[in-house]
Amino acid sequence: MALTSTTSPQGSSSKEIPSTDTLLADLHVQYIQNLGKSTSDLTYHLTAHLRLNAIYWGYTALRIMGRGDALDRDEMIDFVMRCWDDAEGGFAAHPGHDAHLLSTLSAIQILIMQDALDRIDVERVVKFILSLQAPSGVFMGDKWGEEDTRFLYCAVSALSLLSSLHLLDQERTVQYLIDCKNYDGGFGSVIGAESHAARVFVCVGALAILGRMDVVDEETLGWWLAERQLPNGGLNGRPEKLEDVCYSFWVLSAMAILKKVGWIDEKKLVAFILSAQDPEGGGIADRPGDMPDVFHTLFGVAGEWILCF
Amino acid sequence: MSETKPLYSKRPEWSDVVPVEQYEIVNPVAPIFYSEQYKDATNYFRAITKMGEKSPRVLELTESIIRQNPAHYTAWQYRYETLCATNASLADELKLMDEIAIKHLKTYQVWHHRRLLLTTLRKPKPELEFIKKVLHEDTKNYHTWSYRQWLLAHFGADGASINKDGEEEYDLADLWEGELDFVDSMLNQDVRNNSAWHHRFFVVWGCGIREGEQDRERVFKRELIYVKQNISLAPNNPSAWNYLRGILKSTKTPLSSVSTFVLPYTRPRDPTASRDIVDLENPPPSEGADLPSVQAVEFLADILEEKGSESDINQAVELWKSLATELDTIRRKYWEHRIRDAHLKLKASK
Ligand SMILES: [Zn+2]
Repeated sequence: MALTSTTSPQGSSSKEIPSTDTLLADLHVQYIQNLGKSTSDLTYHLTAHLRLNAIYWGYTALRIMGRGDALDRDEMIDFVMRCWDDAEGGFAAHPGHDAHLLSTLSAIQILIMQDALDRIDVERVVKFILSLQAPSGVFMGDKWGEEDTRFLYCAVSALSLLSSLHLLDQERTVQYLIDCKNYDGGFGSVIGAESHAARVFVCVGALAILGRMDVVDEETLGWWLAERQLPNGGLNGRPEKLEDVCYSFWVLSAMAILKKVGWIDEKKLVAFILSAQDPEGGGIADRPGDMPDVFHTLFGVAGEWILCF
Repeated sequence: MSETKPLYSKRPEWSDVVPVEQYEIVNPVAPIFYSEQYKDATNYFRAITKMGEKSPRVLELTESIIRQNPAHYTAWQYRYETLCATNASLADELKLMDEIAIKHLKTYQVWHHRRLLLTTLRKPKPELEFIKKVLHEDTKNYHTWSYRQWLLAHFGADGASINKDGEEEYDLADLWEGELDFVDSMLNQDVRNNSAWHHRFFVVWGCGIREGEQDRERVFKRELIYVKQNISLAPNNPSAWNYLRGILKSTKTPLSSVSTFVLPYTRPRDPTASRDIVDLENPPPSEGADLPSVQAVEFLADILEEKGSESDINQAVELWKSLATELDTIRRKYWEHRIRDAHLKLKASK
């Protein structure tokens, strides 16, 4: 609908724009379904390096909304398998690209949700993941060597999903996370880096999977996370930064692990997330009035879900 | 973008290469009309990677792709491999990157590529200048700040300036020398910049102890005065209050040691208070400051809780109540948790 209607000559639109007081699930489902169809856009090609991640984000949002059937299962599994990089033994974000940890985790997550994990050679994938651990304990995203706690989380999460955590050097991994801990209780992307809500999620998530929550100063970190809420209800990722819908997920999921979601003003946060919806074309943006994208659509839907859960 | 340059498919020097089209077309009915230029360049890139060619023209090709799509990590990776394979000048590459980095500060690859170049070039000092310039454009850029921290940690560690042959390649002390002044200049620009406060903590407390900083008692006092002065200028700045908490915690100093300083910030302005007496230890809130400061009230409540007598706790509870109902209502549930928690602890201690 929104695809065909442009501006009406009379200046008055015949279709009604729905209110954003509630989650416009049907519109978001359509928005996600339409994403793969605009392959002629330059944007589609400029984001090829995130394609598999985008499918994971879209599909997970659909699953949360109870509409996992809205995308074709066989087509999805087929696409995932075409992203397999046989030389490296991992998944790339796009057919023909090189394997990367980010896309490898997405592939595993999609295949598990689609009950198709039997399609992969677990032993090879595990080997690929383990090969990316640096001497310091952190992980590199790929053989190019960029290091970040994001990749450490991807590795830990993927190994856990593949029931292979026992093959990981857990001491070394945890030590790196300990070294990333800051004076405000938060964690950064590498040793010495500033606390950042998305990195707090990946570090706390990894520690939770590894059963090492003793590393976390739960009171201080819980307070730091609660401090992320701004008077308009939205959450930011660092002190003195703007609110953004994606932090609903990063902050809330970390708080869920700490069992402190109750410290957030849920009503105001839900209202903020809902106000960032696009009531015409569907999808959720980083903040009200901006263009929606699949990343913020998932994190908005997921944030809302954590609050209602 | 290189609008004036012809497509690779039209250039004689590329006529020996057969471009490889994107084979993935999700919906073959849809006509492909995304940028002709991007499509052309990536078709040749696919061909080149298939052939494994590493030559100067590959540098030109990958530069063109990166300029169109700086997030194309395969192009970055292949570019770096080509630089190494062709013995290209990494110093020239760094110069080129100065220009590209400023355009794409939020792209991970820009920074990782720089890090690879620096690891080989080993000239950290001019980088600090470059970062300073770049932070001018985007004062809180996460990549830029963590790159600076990496640079200092990597090249600033004891013995890091000595190369394989035992020669000193750069002056270690010189590398750190300007760091506190740099943080100070960033905070003068914006005292609420959390990245700059974090960096100060990293430099003073988080990354080794350098010449002239060994007297930790003196350093602690210096930092206390510095942070208090900055709080006095902007009493509602959470980053400065966090820094204060951070240095007290890392030196295991009780919160109550700064009670005298905190108190005036927890109340409405006292119009009779004289500002004539300069007390470095306890600078008063600046004129026109919005009082009471939420962070100060919170701090005072923590001091009282730390002291722990029944009357202290009761006073803390009153402060938390004022935060919950008046000063910081968005965090009402958190403050209610603190009240419940304190009551429980009090009960348990009886
Ligand atoms: Zn965002």
